[in-house]
Amino acid sequence: MGNTNSIHYLACPDCDCLYSAPEAPEGSRVVCSRCSAHLLTRRANFVSHATALIAAAAIFFLLANLFPFMTLKADYRESDMWLVGSMTGLAEQGFPVLAGMVGMFMLATPTFLLGAMLYILIPLLRGRRRRWSLPLCRAMDEARRWNMVEVYLLGALVSLLKLEKLATLTLGVSFWAFVGFILCLASAVTIIDPSELWRKLEEAQR
Amino acid sequence: MTFDPASAAAGGLARCHSCGRVETVEAGRCPVCEAPLHLRKPASLERTVALTLGAAFLYFPANLLPVLRIESSLKGEQDNTILSGVIRFWEDGDYPVALIILTASVIIPILKVLAIIALCVAVRSGRSPRAMTRLYRLTEYIGRWSMVDVFAVAILVGVVQLGSVLQIDPGGGAFAFAGMVVLTMLAARSFDPRLIWDAAVQNPATAVR
Repeated sequence: MGNTNSIHYLACPDCDCLYSAPEAPEGSRVVCSRCSAHLLTRRANFVSHATALIAAAAIFFLLANLFPFMTLKADYRESDMWLVGSMTGLAEQGFPVLAGMVGMFMLATPTFLLGAMLYILIPLLRGRRRRWSLPLCRAMDEARRWNMVEVYLLGALVSLLKLEKLATLTLGVSFWAFVGFILCLASAVTIIDPSELWRKLEEAQR
Repeated sequence: MTFDPASAAAGGLARCHSCGRVETVEAGRCPVCEAPLHLRKPASLERTVALTLGAAFLYFPANLLPVLRIESSLKGEQDNTILSGVIRFWEDGDYPVALIILTASVIIPILKVLAIIALCVAVRSGRSPRAMTRLYRLTEYIGRWSMVDVFAVAILVGVVQLGSVLQIDPGGGAFAFAGMVVLTMLAARSFDPRLIWDAAVQNPATAVR
């Protein structure tokens, strides 16, 4: 380790207040005394809990992509819409860039998050890290803010009401799997404190 | 620039943007995650202002152009802008939905731009850093929810392929809208709230913690 001094410091991300790293017991939360920003939360066994939740989220996400999301009935005709449909539909109507954005926010980013978390967390269960663990963890920090699955769900409810007068929309298996996926992913993200994850990765062996 | 004696920057220590590790800024790169180290986000104010201007500019096409066009054999053609959608829900008595869309698509984007302007002003004055930091956190959290109408359009377009009976096409407004949301999110991301605290130290008279 290059500079052993700096390990004992903690700085507030929002106001840059400097603290000598506190001896926080498990289950405690450290908050900045100046601007009350959240600094770190120490949770016992967060790696195994988060791994379980992410595995469940991945299964839900797979199911959400394999079944129809919504079914539209109008005039004796039925059509099913899969999760990808909200992206391909836009592309077919001449909006490829918008389709790309929607696809990035509700399909690509969550897929990346699930994959990256499994790649990082599974070896970490046994105190190990793999070759790409650190770069992926860094990319995950950025990806997290572009993950908008919960906003997509609200959009689905709005679209349901928008078509109410013109046709009948019913929710498919995929919709409920998607709800389960969001709940699992959100609780995994809450459980994982980024700085704690980094500290674990630092201690982990190659 | 002078830093608050209590701040990490005063001691030449930088908090890594990515992993939170505190390291002397001369190290250049974070020893843990190899992200470049900076005392403050580089060109924070310039980037924030530029991105916010772009977002404010896109606000007009986003609200004036139709976001989607519905052609139905029952009700004929209708062009929907965001506001006309809100009005239709309101007239139909769907008050909660009307309020959700009005808040997410019309009010939040305006408030976000105003909030970012207030934050940039606070970087000059250093006034009430505590409240401003809270405003920054709120702005960062709330931005994504404005995408709700874009997703609703995407789903409607995807679900309706019934040709003769009902046809739904996306409009240019949806594209402008999505661009606006992304720009405000990038603006909030490039803003560095620590600059407000730095200014508060330089103008102790105006700063009320």
